[in-house]
Amino acid sequence: MRPRLLHYLLISPVQVLLVSLILAPSIYVGWLSFQQSSYGRATEFIGVANYLTLLRDPYFWRALLNTVVMVNIVVYGELLLGLGIALLFVGGVPWSRLMFSIVIAPYAISEVVVVVMWKYMFEPQVGIANFALRGMGLPEIEWAVNPIHALGLITLLAIWHHLPFTFIILYTARLGIPRELYEAAAIDGSGPFQLFRHVTLRLLMPAILVALLFRYVFAFRMFSEVWLLTQGGPARTTEVLAVYLYKAAFRYHEFGLASATGWAMVICSFLIALWYMRIAYRRMFAHDT
Amino acid sequence: MTRRPRWLSGIRLVLLALVVTWSAFPIALVVLASFKPAKMIFDIPPRLFFMPTLENYRSLLQAWPEFFPRLLNSLIITVGTTALTVIASSLAGYVYARYRGGLLTASAFFMVVIRMLPPIVITLPLFPVANWLGVMDTYSLLIALYATFFVSLGTWIMKTFVDQIPVELEEAAFVDGASLGQTLRRVILPLTVPGMIASGVFVLVYAWNEFLFAFIFTTTRAKTAPLLLSEMLGAVTGVDWGAVFAAATIQLVPILVFVIAVQKYLIAGLTAGSVKG
Repeated sequence: MRPRLLHYLLISPVQVLLVSLILAPSIYVGWLSFQQSSYGRATEFIGVANYLTLLRDPYFWRALLNTVVMVNIVVYGELLLGLGIALLFVGGVPWSRLMFSIVIAPYAISEVVVVVMWKYMFEPQVGIANFALRGMGLPEIEWAVNPIHALGLITLLAIWHHLPFTFIILYTARLGIPRELYEAAAIDGSGPFQLFRHVTLRLLMPAILVALLFRYVFAFRMFSEVWLLTQGGPARTTEVLAVYLYKAAFRYHEFGLASATGWAMVICSFLIALWYMRIAYRRMFAHDT
Repeated sequence: MTRRPRWLSGIRLVLLALVVTWSAFPIALVVLASFKPAKMIFDIPPRLFFMPTLENYRSLLQAWPEFFPRLLNSLIITVGTTALTVIASSLAGYVYARYRGGLLTASAFFMVVIRMLPPIVITLPLFPVANWLGVMDTYSLLIALYATFFVSLGTWIMKTFVDQIPVELEEAAFVDGASLGQTLRRVILPLTVPGMIASGVFVLVYAWNEFLFAFIFTTTRAKTAPLLLSEMLGAVTGVDWGAVFAAATIQLVPILVFVIAVQKYLIAGLTAGSVKG
């Protein structure tokens, strides 16, 4: 049916929110990224100088590197674990409702509480996880002083926190694969490995892509975990892009630089989405022919 | 189907135990610790059996009485956000399910794409604007921000739910002379309640737990429970772990129970909102 004015009115609350609180501010940020701007000074057009400053700032590169490395480990770690757990559940588990509830429980937890939990477990000297590591003859995780350890801990808690999302998507998609396909393939003489590769993986691919896309886009904006655990320290070694942006804006009051960072993040997010749609399109065409 | 060899079942049980430990251990640790006497909190190995005490909850009440009004703020903001999201998403979802047109398609595409934008980007211009409008540190600002980032998913979920309702039902109502408002209220609304729950669940969990926007846009009046928790964690006098665990437990138990209770809708919403979108 063709929409009338009334129907445009019905979609307007959603669209007004999106335009006024996301689109307009982000366009303004784009404009601001070409200005010199701080408190108590008129803005002044300076071309791409903010972007050049960004590219020359070693802290920006450090934040970008941290973000890219962590996002990839988090996203693919979740994918492997989520797929493994989904297949385990599909095979049948005792008390499946209770087990399912336990696996999705981390989804309900606030980032702040997640940091409370993992900080408690990895508290220097006295945390239970560090105690266990010592017991196994391994070195302690010194996240407060060692940036690699801190980033490792953040990666671990991010995987813990977001695994339910990936798990639910893959599990429901796997439940949607008809059993007949497996039976037919088994009759054709496929072994377990071939069944996994040619039936499970192939038919799960759309769901895997969706999980990857969403987790890439969402992991890329990671802020709270890092802010609450290290605030980017020691000596700005554990910053991610969102923390770099926050500090540029609200600590150093360099709004132009912060805006340029913001647009760099926007462009990266859309590139990821574009990359996803390309793959999705290719797959569709591959199916059609 | 052939029966699985016994050793394989054994391995599967071990794996399941590992998965359950991984998911539940950090939560159980904190909830249990909130009932432990303060001096036992860092006992190694942790004690499973102890006389539960409310000592930590008492010290939370004494040292951080502010926590309870903040919890109420969180509740108000969560309820407001959920209501706004569900209402706006239902109206839009209905239109996107039933009507077609160039402008509608374009706006649907816009709706899905714009949501990819990192929330921190918009804090930059909104900070001065919120100050200027005098909405800094208010419930309405947080409610509007939280809803904005979830109306896309909500609308999409509602659209897929309305898609499943036969269009003949409405046509019959229209033929009988019902207006659009009456048809929505009497015919569509009762049938889309599951969709409304599904689109409400995600934003409810998000609004109750959110940190970034609350951190930037609230200072006192509208401060939320997660923000106060982060302040307890960063207290310069050193972390009072007992009180932190008590506060964390109070914050997490209701939402955890809620998520477990509505897991059916969580799954339905994720399937509708992501796989088809």
